[in-house]
Amino acid sequence: MSADPQHAPQASAGRAPDVFKPGGWVPMRQYPEIDEVDFVIVGTGAGGGTLACKLAEAGFSVVAMDAGPYWRPLEDFASDETHQQKLYWTDERIVDGDTPLKMGSNNSGKAVGGSTVHFAMVSLRFRPDHFQTRTKLGYGADWPIGWQEMWRYYDEVEEMLKIAGPVRYPWGPKRGRYPYRAHPLNAAAEYLARGAEALGIDWTETPIATLSAPRGKAHPCVYRGFCVTGCSTNAKQSVLVTWLPRAIEAGAEIRDLAMVGRVETRNGRATGVHYHRNGEWRFQKAKNVVVAGYAIETPRLLLNSANDEFPDGLANSSGLVGKNLMAQLNQAAWGQVEDEVRSYKGPPSLAISEHWNYEDSGKDYFGGWSYMSQGPLPIIWAKSLAGGRSLWGQDLIDEMNRNNHSVGLKMVGETLPDERNRVTLADETDQYGLRIPRITFAFRDNEKAMIKHAVDFMDQSLEATGATERWKEMNDTCHLNGTARMGDNPTTSVVNADCRSWDIPNLWICDGSVFPTVGGVNPSLTIQAVACRTGDRIREMAARGEL
Amino acid sequence: MAQASQADGTVAIRLIAGGATTLASSVLADSGLEHYRGSFANKAMVLPLASSAFGIAVNGRRAQQPESRGTAAPTVSHVGSTAIGLIGLGFHAYNVLKRPGGPSFTNLFYGAPAGAPAALVLAGALGKAADTLAQGKDRIGPVELASGRAIGAMVGVGLFGSVGEAALLHFRGAYHDPFMWLPVTLPPIAAVSLLRDVIDDHPRQATMILLGTTAALGLIGMGFHAYGVARNMGGWKNWRQNILAGPPLPAPPAFTGLAIAGFGALLMMRQRRRHG
Repeated sequence: MSADPQHAPQASAGRAPDVFKPGGWVPMRQYPEIDEVDFVIVGTGAGGGTLACKLAEAGFSVVAMDAGPYWRPLEDFASDETHQQKLYWTDERIVDGDTPLKMGSNNSGKAVGGSTVHFAMVSLRFRPDHFQTRTKLGYGADWPIGWQEMWRYYDEVEEMLKIAGPVRYPWGPKRGRYPYRAHPLNAAAEYLARGAEALGIDWTETPIATLSAPRGKAHPCVYRGFCVTGCSTNAKQSVLVTWLPRAIEAGAEIRDLAMVGRVETRNGRATGVHYHRNGEWRFQKAKNVVVAGYAIETPRLLLNSANDEFPDGLANSSGLVGKNLMAQLNQAAWGQVEDEVRSYKGPPSLAISEHWNYEDSGKDYFGGWSYMSQGPLPIIWAKSLAGGRSLWGQDLIDEMNRNNHSVGLKMVGETLPDERNRVTLADETDQYGLRIPRITFAFRDNEKAMIKHAVDFMDQSLEATGATERWKEMNDTCHLNGTARMGDNPTTSVVNADCRSWDIPNLWICDGSVFPTVGGVNPSLTIQAVACRTGDRIREMAARGEL
Repeated sequence: MAQASQADGTVAIRLIAGGATTLASSVLADSGLEHYRGSFANKAMVLPLASSAFGIAVNGRRAQQPESRGTAAPTVSHVGSTAIGLIGLGFHAYNVLKRPGGPSFTNLFYGAPAGAPAALVLAGALGKAADTLAQGKDRIGPVELASGRAIGAMVGVGLFGSVGEAALLHFRGAYHDPFMWLPVTLPPIAAVSLLRDVIDDHPRQATMILLGTTAALGLIGMGFHAYGVARNMGGWKNWRQNILAGPPLPAPPAFTGLAIAGFGALLMMRQRRRHG
């Protein structure tokens, strides 16, 4: 292995790291900057990485840039929470609003592969009605894509990631068999199952993107439990070890440690991107630019790219760039039990109930939520106890000593789109000299009502399994979406169903920021499905000469 | 002719006892590994190790010396194996059903398997059959042994049991390797052919070939499972974890043991047709 991936680009000189082989390399095509490539993609996570693969396989020349390092999971990932913070986007940001978001861990990633390198692998489909909440359920905004079409793309992504899921899924329309079988439940998951059975609702094994059987050079999961700090066995089917190797093989170039600061436009069209790599600003010409930096960096880049032609930022004629930020609710209920649970064993969320995504009655709020069993690692657990129960000093140490008997349930809940929750630019600048994002967020009454219902319900579930000393963690959030929503109308959306911006025909946005609503499920599978669809649509449009 | 018949009979006893020995070996290795993984949480988990080891000794001796008049040891072993196997089935069913979700696929995948204690029952029954024949008797209670048909039926049903186990556990592995289809396609054909021979009382050459292939498949399967172990994190260098985490090495030879006993049954059927 050559120099530190955090300081020296690894993907260069015609080769990229072979993530499956210690010290190995794979050949990688490289494009000169003066060549106008078909697509330059900003970000290589669930949206950008997936799209890079689809476009390269469709025969386009693709350069995909990521601000983060190109890691080798087999060599670079330690079983150490503190060390593994290197996977997070911890650059400076300003957070404000009534519910300021905690940035920099579970909601952001700075690595080739994006936050899928440290995601919890939970791979859920939206409830079909959640693509049309305005029409069907009376809140939020409709997606411009029908659920049947999205479900076909879910099939494609699930197959690509060899999702390990239950033989029969209890909710929603019939779906095909998951490619791999579900993992065994850990004790924490059994507590969810017993609680759900006691309360008379369905539960199932969570469909997750970690292998329950070998796949190519990737090993099956060893239940090490450090999933959210980076999987060191390649069992986790992150973008880094799935879509990107395929993309490179199909001729895409990945540029790591390449921070894009501005998208250039001329005569109403994007012409390329200015990016920072190896200590200098450079320019890559491109026929099309895809922004895939997720819900914070995508609007930041579009706003930072404001110029004389587009003084309010790119793709922003609707004024919606940065608006409707939706941070999913991540509140929890915890308790103590007599038997040894050791909830940190195995993937953290092995059992799930989506009951409240599919059941609309009995709610005094809009939207859905699911909840999953939990397996916090020690530092995360200490933070939960310090923040949620104000434990400190000896009290905190004593409580940490009882960690093997702690058990908990955590929700993933829907936040409604609200234009007051938004990303704007602060006046401060970062290490690249770029204005940093200001993230303004607050829970409204709907979120508060959902949280109350959810934590009470999860608490009841724990109570039904005999857990005592129960408490509620009220202030956590997770995935970020919105800020560049897709729609059918240029005045009420930033991109169309094909992720193509209304204002600049060769500027595309492909990540979680295009979500009009977020549903009560983790977004990664949907982001990848949208990216697959976008790739197919671009290929079709190119064939018809519509690019 | 009488000498040939006697020789055939001796060979049949050897084969049936040899099949029982192979099955018991599979059970010893399998329960040894799996119950070690389960930390012998219940003290009764040592019983299948003890009884299968005992079974290897007495069946192995019987395979070597088919005509020896024995002591009471073989009977104790065979009755013990059968009883412990049956009790084990009960324990394993309880282990599966007590889990949340009850008889779900996940619990069947990861709970205690039905196949292993059933193999112990079969090892005991086949051993007892070989013993009985060796002592010149031709029936156990109401079951007539001399024709070979009862033993053939037992082997046929046993093969289907093993196929069921392989089908379930290879489904757990999502048939990720196409070779995983082999043990769920070939042995059932062998079992059907054998059962047809039993019903028709007519041993066919095709059955011999199919049983031979099944026996070979059991050994080849061990090779595939060794490869499967290698595909886990750390490969064979990390054998202490991966032998437990990977596909079970001792499972496929259960097919071999049953097929060998099936040969014995076919031989007896052929012999009786020739001389009966």
